[in-house]
Amino acid sequence: MPPSTLLSPSELSYLHSSLSLDLPIRPDARSPTTFRPLVAETDLLPTTNGSARLCFADGSEAIVGVKAEVERTIGASSTSSDVFARGEDGDGDTKMQSAEEEMNEERRRLARGKGQDSWIEVTIDMPGFARDDDGVVVFLAQMLQEGLVADEGLRDRLWIGWGWHWRIYVDILLLTTPNSYPLPLLSLTTHLALLATRLPAPISRIDEDPLFNDDWDAAEPLYPPSGSAHASKPPFTLLVISVEDNIFFDPSREELAVADAVCAVTVGTIDAPVSSGKRREGTPKLRLLSLRIIDPPARLAAATSGTEAEDDQGAWRPARGGMKRAVVGKMVKVVLEVGGVGEEVMTGLEGFHDG
Amino acid sequence: MTFSIQALAAPSRTNEPRSTGSDISVDSDEELQAVSSVKRKKHAAVITPGELVTDDPQWMRGHGTAATPGSTAILATVAGTLLRTNKLLSIQPLRARYTPEIGDLVVGRIVSVETKRWKVDVSAPLLAHLPLSAINLPGGILRKRTSTDELAIRTFFSEGDLLVAEVQSVYQDGAASLHTRSLRYGKLRNGVFIRVSGTGGGGSVVRARRQVWTINTANGGGDVDVVLGVNGYIWICKHSRGELVASSEEAKKMNEITRMEEAVSESMYSNRNDEIPPQTRREIARLTGCVKALVENGIRVDEEMVMAAYHASLEPDGDDVPMTMDYDEGHETHEYLGGSRGSRVVAAAVEATKG
Amino acid sequence: MADRRRINPPSGPTITPIFLASPSDPPTQPPHRTRPPHEIRKIFLKTGLTPSASGSAYLELEPSSSPKPTTCVDRSTSALKLTCTVHGPRPLPRSVPFSPHLLLTAHVKFAPFASKHRRGYVRDTSERDLSVHVETALRGLLISERWPKSGVDVVITILEAEDDGPAFTEGGSGGAGDGAGGLSGWGMMSVLSGCMTVASAAIADAGIDCSDLVSGGVAAVVRQPSFPHTQTGASKASPKEIVLDPCPSEHADILAVCVVGYLRSRDQITEIWTRGDMEGLPGEEGSEQSNFEVLLDQAVEAAVSSRLVLDAALKEATEYKLQKMAPALPSSGEKVKGSD
Repeated sequence: MPPSTLLSPSELSYLHSSLSLDLPIRPDARSPTTFRPLVAETDLLPTTNGSARLCFADGSEAIVGVKAEVERTIGASSTSSDVFARGEDGDGDTKMQSAEEEMNEERRRLARGKGQDSWIEVTIDMPGFARDDDGVVVFLAQMLQEGLVADEGLRDRLWIGWGWHWRIYVDILLLTTPNSYPLPLLSLTTHLALLATRLPAPISRIDEDPLFNDDWDAAEPLYPPSGSAHASKPPFTLLVISVEDNIFFDPSREELAVADAVCAVTVGTIDAPVSSGKRREGTPKLRLLSLRIIDPPARLAAATSGTEAEDDQGAWRPARGGMKRAVVGKMVKVVLEVGGVGEEVMTGLEGFHDG
Repeated sequence: MTFSIQALAAPSRTNEPRSTGSDISVDSDEELQAVSSVKRKKHAAVITPGELVTDDPQWMRGHGTAATPGSTAILATVAGTLLRTNKLLSIQPLRARYTPEIGDLVVGRIVSVETKRWKVDVSAPLLAHLPLSAINLPGGILRKRTSTDELAIRTFFSEGDLLVAEVQSVYQDGAASLHTRSLRYGKLRNGVFIRVSGTGGGGSVVRARRQVWTINTANGGGDVDVVLGVNGYIWICKHSRGELVASSEEAKKMNEITRMEEAVSESMYSNRNDEIPPQTRREIARLTGCVKALVENGIRVDEEMVMAAYHASLEPDGDDVPMTMDYDEGHETHEYLGGSRGSRVVAAAVEATKG
Repeated sequence: MADRRRINPPSGPTITPIFLASPSDPPTQPPHRTRPPHEIRKIFLKTGLTPSASGSAYLELEPSSSPKPTTCVDRSTSALKLTCTVHGPRPLPRSVPFSPHLLLTAHVKFAPFASKHRRGYVRDTSERDLSVHVETALRGLLISERWPKSGVDVVITILEAEDDGPAFTEGGSGGAGDGAGGLSGWGMMSVLSGCMTVASAAIADAGIDCSDLVSGGVAAVVRQPSFPHTQTGASKASPKEIVLDPCPSEHADILAVCVVGYLRSRDQITEIWTRGDMEGLPGEEGSEQSNFEVLLDQAVEAAVSSRLVLDAALKEATEYKLQKMAPALPSSGEKVKGSD
């Protein structure tokens, strides 16, 4: 798991008791939902379709490049019979300008449900932290991929035409040795990179071999910006810890060390067409895409010395067992509620991307 | 605002406060010209490795320099500013690893336990040693070390424990040997640990007259001790009478040093924290924030600056966003001294110390 | 110059063959769920089957019920068969630094023949991912201070795994599983639930101190099978429901799955893995988090049911051992040798 933090028993006990107060006191006086300030940069790699770099306050830094490649869809040719039937009515058009739009609309309509998981590939490189095939790296990559593929909208947008699709490679590189569990860093960087990702606009018809507009300005964003008809946002994953009944966001390394339970909560937006009626302007409604419990590092790294017997009541011991259902429910609620943490992070990231 | 993100291009750091933070006395321009054969502008008193400092045989070489065989030239081996002490030339690197010197007050963390000694991380290139013979054994300061003590070595200190000690001697290879044979030294409890980068220059602990002092904190927090290890390890804890930082006046008041020692020695190696009220915890968190803000803004960490920053942080901040209410209780978030709020506090502190 | 040392593959990707149903065969029905939504499949669990390990267990789930037996390759249904062996507690190797605890490591491996697609001998990402999940679920229940400086290895081999949703022929025939059809890996989540239950039985069999036993439970949001050729608009109308212990081959359209590792006596959860779209569950109108909690509670229900089997299997094994030992206890006869 993350680099084990060596802390003395009295430090652990101080941290744990501070965090489990009714009005918890975090070591840096943050409120439970406050995030440490971030510094970010997007579109920095010219050879990618989208890229971002993010620095956390603790000095850890990650860089993400998104590359897209056109690929043949295996086993897709069999459906071409009903394509032509549908292709007909989209064809009887005279105006050139609207023909293109119609084609896009047609593509969007036909793409529904065609997307596949395997078109999105996430790899993580953490030099010096863990080997590529280490359980932690695999776990992190799976978690991020899970969030991305859970969004049907994204998968379907990768569909170009009959027999062709985009394949998206999300390459995540951790530049520093992480100070705490690197999941939120990697996830937020990926989010920014995907927001900045654009795919060349196709000019071929859906039943032709793909041909693209070579004007980069005409490229379409992978995630349509808010305000457009099909607006959606990439998912992101937040790390939430619980100490007793309190929950904390963006835990620092020390806080992670005394966490009773650690959860990774991935949230995404609800696709606009589904709930366009009831949602408020400007605030996308969030939904839970995935949730995983992560092994709290306390179980491994606790420095309670074996020689000291049970009489040392003051020393803190890592909690045995798991977390309560109510606490999990509270975590999800705080993330998803209107005006909650998820919304705040989403608008914060979007505001950065636009500004 | 609980989630903030800023662009990388934003001037997150200004070099302005740095100059005030430096207490390394660099010789005036004329002398530098005389010392160094290299011409440089007024403020560019930075020397890079391999640069010729002087070829005048009257100078002696000190730290950060090397002599070339067969010539009188002195070359720099580190990047930093030139320091001239009579005829001795040395270069003070802007950011350096801690090199132990006899008499330094350091905060260290036990990393391994051996048969008759502990290995202690003091942020130096080599681990420091703490021999079993160099600690106060329970039951009287003058007791002889026995084999029973050797067997029970983990009951005094075990892996992860923090201690404050003095450098007793430095071995040939640069490793330090520590001792805690004073009531001011020993195991650390009731507080939090902060790690600050290497010594010297901005954003780190500098050797000062007083490394340990007690603050009478605001908001009913009571007395809080601050221990600034010369090695950049900092400990902030609740003040407990008679222990750790028993100032000499207090010891005189007690007038019965030996009795006090006996009383103290019982709990000397306990891992149990005292009862710490939330007010004290909150003030400890604020002090932690102050130290971190000083470091982030490249200001030296010493008693004067920490106190100034602490007082500045108590002032209400006009520029700050109106206190945001937290999700559970009315718990204001402006206590967090990260990001721009931290910079403002540090700027105010720098102003205060100037005047 | 062409590389002559190796046989070059075709320049483009190959297309997997798609078998048409021969007209002579009656159209086979895909297997569908015959048990009620709140009922889990029958579990066979037995401990102590591997004598060389300190603890072991075997778990089997009944195969999904098919309305009529079929010989079609694609339609054959499979069950879940898992074995778990526990080795240790044993001293840590020298390379591992001092630890005051029992260090648990889990290895989950699919047998190469476990599923339709052959698995290699090297652990792939999904297997590693499962291992981390199992470790997370198990670490919370061990009383690890009682075994300082030692390690325990939990090795789970999946002999037969469930099929991952509708197979490839399904996708060709008009994309019946629209929308979520592309999202796969649901089978993994049932496997994880089985892994947790079997590992917990094996740990108990090994006699390692535990504060509780963890049992796995799965609940899923499925869309009820509707008309085969609906368009996207109509699919929204078909109702969603929650089922316990879903068998991926029985449901054409799984929307979300939640797996929990549940400690019944402590009423705590050591592992959650949930993903998918939990929107718009029946009965529960309103915000999202209630949907998640509804699903979580159902998964816990499933875990409680599998815990019954776990308890019964452990009791049975212990009683059996006691019976075997009983004649040997009063007199130290020759039977003592046979009892272990």
